[in-house]
Amino acid sequence: MRVVVAAPQVPFVRGGAELMAEDLVTALRARGHDAEIVSIPFKWYPGSRVLDQAFLWRLVDLTESDGRPIDRVIATKFPAYCVRHPNKVAWVLHQFRQAYDYDRTELGQFDESPADRATRRAIERLDAVALGEARKVFATSRNVADRLQRFNGIAAEVLPHPPQSLAYREAESEGYVLSVNRLDRAKRIDLLVAAAKRDPSLRIVIAGDGPDRERLERLATGLNGQVTFAGRVDENRLADLYARCLAVYYAPVDEDFGMVPYEAFLSGKPVVTAVDAGGPLEVVRDRETGAVVEPDAAAVAQACAYLATHADEAKAWGHAGRQLAERVTWDACVDALLS
Amino acid sequence: MKVAYYSPLPPSRSGIADYSTLLLPALRERIEIVVAEEGKRAPSADVALYHLGNDPDAHGWILDALNERPGVVVLHEYVLHHLIAGTTIGRGKGRAYLDAMERELGVAGRLLGLGVLDNLLPLLWETQPERFPLSGVVLDQARGLIVHSRYVAERARAAGYDGPLWRIPHPAWPMGVVEPATDVSGDPLIGCFGFLNMNKRIPELLEAFASFRRQRPGARLLLVGAAGERFDVQRRLERLGLTEGVQRLDYVSEERMWSLMAACDVLVNLRYPTMGETSGSVIRALALGQALLVSDVGWFSELPDDAVLKIPVDDYEVATIEAALSVAADHGATLGAAARAYVEREHALPAVADAYVAALEAAAGGPAVNDAVLLRIAEAAAEVGIDDVSALAQAAREAGILA
Repeated sequence: MRVVVAAPQVPFVRGGAELMAEDLVTALRARGHDAEIVSIPFKWYPGSRVLDQAFLWRLVDLTESDGRPIDRVIATKFPAYCVRHPNKVAWVLHQFRQAYDYDRTELGQFDESPADRATRRAIERLDAVALGEARKVFATSRNVADRLQRFNGIAAEVLPHPPQSLAYREAESEGYVLSVNRLDRAKRIDLLVAAAKRDPSLRIVIAGDGPDRERLERLATGLNGQVTFAGRVDENRLADLYARCLAVYYAPVDEDFGMVPYEAFLSGKPVVTAVDAGGPLEVVRDRETGAVVEPDAAAVAQACAYLATHADEAKAWGHAGRQLAERVTWDACVDALLS
Repeated sequence: MKVAYYSPLPPSRSGIADYSTLLLPALRERIEIVVAEEGKRAPSADVALYHLGNDPDAHGWILDALNERPGVVVLHEYVLHHLIAGTTIGRGKGRAYLDAMERELGVAGRLLGLGVLDNLLPLLWETQPERFPLSGVVLDQARGLIVHSRYVAERARAAGYDGPLWRIPHPAWPMGVVEPATDVSGDPLIGCFGFLNMNKRIPELLEAFASFRRQRPGARLLLVGAAGERFDVQRRLERLGLTEGVQRLDYVSEERMWSLMAACDVLVNLRYPTMGETSGSVIRALALGQALLVSDVGWFSELPDDAVLKIPVDDYEVATIEAALSVAADHGATLGAAARAYVEREHALPAVADAYVAALEAAAGGPAVNDAVLLRIAEAAAEVGIDDVSALAQAAREAGILA
């Protein structure tokens, strides 16, 4: 089959979505398919510009290439799934959340003006059309599927994907708690920093970069030796950080899916998350594969301290997580997407 | 976002006043509403919402406001001939009536209108309004249209309305505990509620009931509602030998009506011709979980087949009503359960209010957003020498980007 993976791309930003699209193409090629990523830069502001972006995708003709038909389009995100194709499959990492669950929260982007309200409604209509015409809609997590059902009345099948391909391994814990994430307010890495302030024995390593870095560094002032900002790390360093940590902290606000818990599990490590973290809760189960706590610094500190003093349990929970993570394979994903 | 809300409200006694009484609190939880009042200055708002029905006394001022300032129209029924006649001929503006007739039927319509004005033809709104709905003049002023049925949506489109259209079900009244009345009985007890006239197929119902009662002597028919002029119910009952089997009540309170409806085994709500209306009393009956007979016309045809028994309006109507009464009496529980499930699924008030907000938000800001998107697309196209962007606009509309 000739398969296009349609994925929007924010120039100079690279995260889970980009990795997932690349890994999907690799998996398709490994199964003997011709596969390619087609991408258009995505800029979602100001206001109705987001509709222009959707319209760009609508104008792209992916029915054939170089005189030969394209058999299937797998679209991963808004607005890529607006593309027209008779065999379009949507594998939704997330919708444009500013128009849905982020609306009227500090993470939203539309105000109360008639134009902004109408833009939000236009996105709803767009999703109804674009996802309605797909031959099948998958969601990467139950959380995303529930939102599609709740906001758009669209039934999606849950199809999680494996995390990025790293040289996962397990090594003896060096006692630090690792955060792997884009440094963004919604990821709530500040809770982990605040937990370190409460517990002088807690050491944390923060991998990743993003717009919240300066604020986080300010928060960490005075915590010399306790907090390490590792910045953007390469694959080897990342696998190493996972392998040698005590546990992984991952507590974003109502995350869509979240690959980090899978990466932690494949390294045999438990995950500390929050009760309102969304997608991660589908695999992070309290006292089975990690700790699920209230989203406050004291609770995070307490959970980390518990894991530090109960190494056997930490290890057992990480191993239980590994069993869950190993069940999610690219082969199963490719079978579902091309069926 | 602020919405100017135009509707008859209590003490006006109309189905649309009841509708707004139910809907307004739910809307107010979601958006800012300012209720317009007859004779007062039009409130300033981002968008105006006009509830229109066919009664010129209740809706004439709302139509006037719509003509002053186009907005979103809720078309509670499709046939508006009486409203248009009342606000044109009724105000000495015969020429406006002729314009409305011409809008509907061209020159032939104008000539028919002249016939009415000159007393050469019977009053069309009394004799055959369904043939001349005259809703076109309202549709021309609508910047968005809310309807309750596919039937009205299709007729509006057929009449040339090409603006945004939303089909929003009639909300159901929240169901409290309804104690069935104990002073009425029958085996089975059949109820028919509402104005009694030819349009409600009362002659056909009485004839079918007379026949049904010969098979089921314990059956009784409860007729609740005033009779229309020139419609002598008593004489018809006597002629059909039904004075024993039929009980009549002219006017009952709301509470008593619910209680009487709950006491019935079968409810009947027939009508023909339809004016494209949705029936609040049918929604009530469905919400109660009662077995129900309706005519197979208009909105009523769109009700689910497992929840109501639909009576085609044809030569076999009376026989079909009689057969349906038997089926309904014997399978009332099954029909009623399906009816209640349907109402909970399709007519829940919160979902209806959400749909209103979606429509109003799209209507209020939609044109500006559409213009902005189209302008950018047009500019980009024009810069490379493509001046005709209608194909782009069409693509955008198909994708739902533009309303």
